[in-house]
Amino acid sequence: MKSDPIIPHASRISARRRRIGSRTVRWMRRMIPVLLLPAALLQAHVVAPELFHPVVESYRRATFLLNLNPVLWDEVETETARIAAGLENISKEHANVYRKAVAEAIAGPTALVAEGDGAPGPDVRKEAARTVFELSTRAVADLLTAELEELKTSTDDREAASRCLDLSRQYWSGFEHEIKSTDEPMFREIGLCWLKIATALGSAPLLGQGEAPVDAKTVQEEADEILAYVKTCYAHFRAAKDRALVPVPLSSKTFDARAVIAAKLPPGSNINKQRPRPRQILNLVARGVDERETPLVAFGDMTFDSPLIFGEPARSLGLSCNVCHNKSITNPQFTIAGLTKYPGGLDVSSSFFAPHANNGLFDPLDIPDLRGIRFTAPYGRNGRFSSLRDFIRNVIVNEFNGPEPDPIVVDAMLAYMMEFDFLPNPMLNKDGTLNSKAPETARRGEKLFNKSFAQMNGMSCATCHVPSSHFVDHRRHDIGSVSGAEEDSQDRALDTPTLLSAKFTQPYFHDGSLATLEDVVRWFDQNYDLKLDKTEVADLTAYLEAVGDGRDAYEEDPDVASPAEVEEQNFFMASWEFIRDKGKFDLADLLFRTVAQELRNEKWGLKYAEATEVVERMAQLADAAVIANKAGQIEIVNAKVAEFRQLYEENTGLIAGDVAPGERHTAQAAPIDRPAVQLTPAERQSLVDYVLGLK
Amino acid sequence: MKRLAFLFVLLLTAAFASPLRAAEEATPTPPERPLDAKAAPLNFAFISYANPQQVARDSEGVTAYLQKYLGVPVKGFVTLDYGSAIEAMRSDKADLAFVDPLAFMMAHEQIGARPLLLEIYASGKPTYHSCIWVRRDSGLKTLADLRGKSIAFADQVDMSGHIMPRDAFVQAGLLSPKRIEGEFFKQVYFAGGDEQAMRAMFNGFTDAAGVSQYALGLLRIEEREQVMPLANSIESPAHLLMARRDLPDEVAARVKLVLLALDRKKPADKAILAKLYGVQGYAEATLGDFAEVAKMAAGYGFVKKPGLFSANPAKP
Repeated sequence: MKSDPIIPHASRISARRRRIGSRTVRWMRRMIPVLLLPAALLQAHVVAPELFHPVVESYRRATFLLNLNPVLWDEVETETARIAAGLENISKEHANVYRKAVAEAIAGPTALVAEGDGAPGPDVRKEAARTVFELSTRAVADLLTAELEELKTSTDDREAASRCLDLSRQYWSGFEHEIKSTDEPMFREIGLCWLKIATALGSAPLLGQGEAPVDAKTVQEEADEILAYVKTCYAHFRAAKDRALVPVPLSSKTFDARAVIAAKLPPGSNINKQRPRPRQILNLVARGVDERETPLVAFGDMTFDSPLIFGEPARSLGLSCNVCHNKSITNPQFTIAGLTKYPGGLDVSSSFFAPHANNGLFDPLDIPDLRGIRFTAPYGRNGRFSSLRDFIRNVIVNEFNGPEPDPIVVDAMLAYMMEFDFLPNPMLNKDGTLNSKAPETARRGEKLFNKSFAQMNGMSCATCHVPSSHFVDHRRHDIGSVSGAEEDSQDRALDTPTLLSAKFTQPYFHDGSLATLEDVVRWFDQNYDLKLDKTEVADLTAYLEAVGDGRDAYEEDPDVASPAEVEEQNFFMASWEFIRDKGKFDLADLLFRTVAQELRNEKWGLKYAEATEVVERMAQLADAAVIANKAGQIEIVNAKVAEFRQLYEENTGLIAGDVAPGERHTAQAAPIDRPAVQLTPAERQSLVDYVLGLK
Repeated sequence: MKRLAFLFVLLLTAAFASPLRAAEEATPTPPERPLDAKAAPLNFAFISYANPQQVARDSEGVTAYLQKYLGVPVKGFVTLDYGSAIEAMRSDKADLAFVDPLAFMMAHEQIGARPLLLEIYASGKPTYHSCIWVRRDSGLKTLADLRGKSIAFADQVDMSGHIMPRDAFVQAGLLSPKRIEGEFFKQVYFAGGDEQAMRAMFNGFTDAAGVSQYALGLLRIEEREQVMPLANSIESPAHLLMARRDLPDEVAARVKLVLLALDRKKPADKAILAKLYGVQGYAEATLGDFAEVAKMAAGYGFVKKPGLFSANPAKP
């Protein structure tokens, strides 16, 4: 346990303190997000990023990219360069052989693009992708093998051996997800090998106490077993012709070719909702209406939050409308590596989420803010939908691969979205002009905003962003921000976006390419040669910031996020009677499953453990409602919903964290009885899987 | 990662049944003192858990804050493990250090270190415990059901990742303190950390994991639903700030006063606490707080004189 107290050490994973090699130090630098994790998790339902060794991170990202159409070859080159850098730890020659082979494979498709011959055909693209994938898989296997071999010879130095074990495990994690899915017996077998090695490496003493010696023989035997598996399955890896490019261990005797491999997002992705939580304004709630008395809106709110209206892989990944448009507000941190160009954007016509609707282009769009959406038609960045209803259906079916939605789902989502309001802005008059509360510089900027420029064919900014009409003109314009399919093509027009609440919706432009409102001003200045001086740029920026401002854009206390989300589930349950009376029991299933899932996501962010238990009981009541609903036991569903509501009402203070467990006055909830549904064991299991979202 | 697991207190609010006092209201902030630049500096050892550079940056904010109220130069340095912190204190390079209970008890025995302040977690109490975790679908109901099964601990020399959860079996009369192998379990593993042990259990490599209560937060949200605690260990005092034996009482008292005054409800104080491992605040520590865990650690040979840890202890 002794070491120089001022030498940086990057890990306390084990009491086995070890000196850190340069590779590990580099990896540990990537661990920085871990430091931010606990605070982030306080805010609940924040999914921590999986942490990988940089080589594995690049490997998994490259694998994701190689499965897309189009393949982003530039990004593939970046990732494979990192893998090659990792291979240099084996030998420069090894790394160079890999580099050369990857370059040769990529040369075909990239040359076509470079020469202006357009995208490579599917055969060229797929063959190159397959080759790069196989080479990279073998490269990671080589690194794993080299580290395990070094481990075997390092047992006389516990610190060195522990370092090898850490690195080996990290390389193994490059394949672990697929092995777990397709080769469960060997996943367990190798998992035990790692455990046995860790145990056999013993423990370093603390102040001379507790040392456990290294068992070199066990280390070597278990390392050999892992090596044998890696050699058989990955050392000469070839990708299966009939499935996506994933590192499945094809040579294993216990491999299950029919196994389903759950989709995973590549490292670097972030689909958590933003914190602090933006303040949502629902018009009817702002007018004092209780959402529980507006079941269509409540149901729409639920569907907006539900991943279950989408198909795979969005559903399993937990993606819902609310993830990108959190409480209607754009999520500026949303990122999926390979599908996002700028944070807060996504290619919604990619081969990943809905292959059937892939447009074959990498064209990520900035996630639009939905505040005030009822005033901002048409919809879609290029205004391709005049009807919000059509737009919603398209998102569900063609962007996220969902089933055809029930008309009630679309009606409800429309009803909910029509309630989204802009932030109140005390600096604006009713006609959209600035009042005296706006700073002087913004009021100077207002004059510029309304000034006609010859360079813009005599138009002003206000010509399109009409102040008296929520700063939109409901039209599409080609402002020169989109490159066309060919010279003089007429495919460059975009919908005029509103400027209201825009201060909080960065980045800007249809693709999110401009980070700030000042960048937007400068873009127009440069592209239209407006010859604005420094002051005018500042004034116009101040104007946009004033128009785009709003009162209380974020919730003050981040600790309220989870209690508020739990409260929402209680609102959602208000739609049960409406759905029941419509006879739409499949939608009731959607309701109860969504509520159960959301409650289980949010319960971890509550202040008191007792509150977490209460919310788990609420989730179990929703589970019970699913089963009873499935069996047509409507009276039991009614009872479960009533119990759910009662449990929530009795514990609102506890859930909010305002009332400590010892202080609360609440009747103990009755034990949850499963409904008396007559099911066979197989049916029962099927329902349990269904409830848990396993099938 | 142990520290990381601890910090998951910010996420998880487990039910405590602490013998220790609950957090009290923060004391008033003492008045600032002019800096006596010529005074001997007060050296703080900050333990690093994943990113020493970040800890070093955080420590600068903390030492600047302390200096303002202590009136003497305050310096911080990062240690990589508890052993280093204790060695620094032994060689007069550290006056104060952040450590875990086991390291403190050993430091108290060996160099007479004194407990100053316990960290308070989101539960509002300066304690924590370990759990025996199992999969919900394992069918296991009691600790006795683990007879002939396998278990993963974090590391042999680990308070919450071995000694405390192992002691839960001792308390249940299923294990003697001295032996594990072949006595009760079919197999015992030391996975190398809380997360590795937890994942070994989650993935079905072992039947159970014996690690900190906060290790649950190391699983993904959807994974947490699939595991449960079978039993809890006794409560242990939280991680703490300890002082060297001969630190003047006036200085120790002043340090306590300044840190006890931190109030999470005040944004400026909250920012300082965030740099102090994200704890909620501090509670005064006494040797008596460690009486029970000292007896437990003595059973495993880490503590030699558990009698030192009582309300009226003998001098170490």
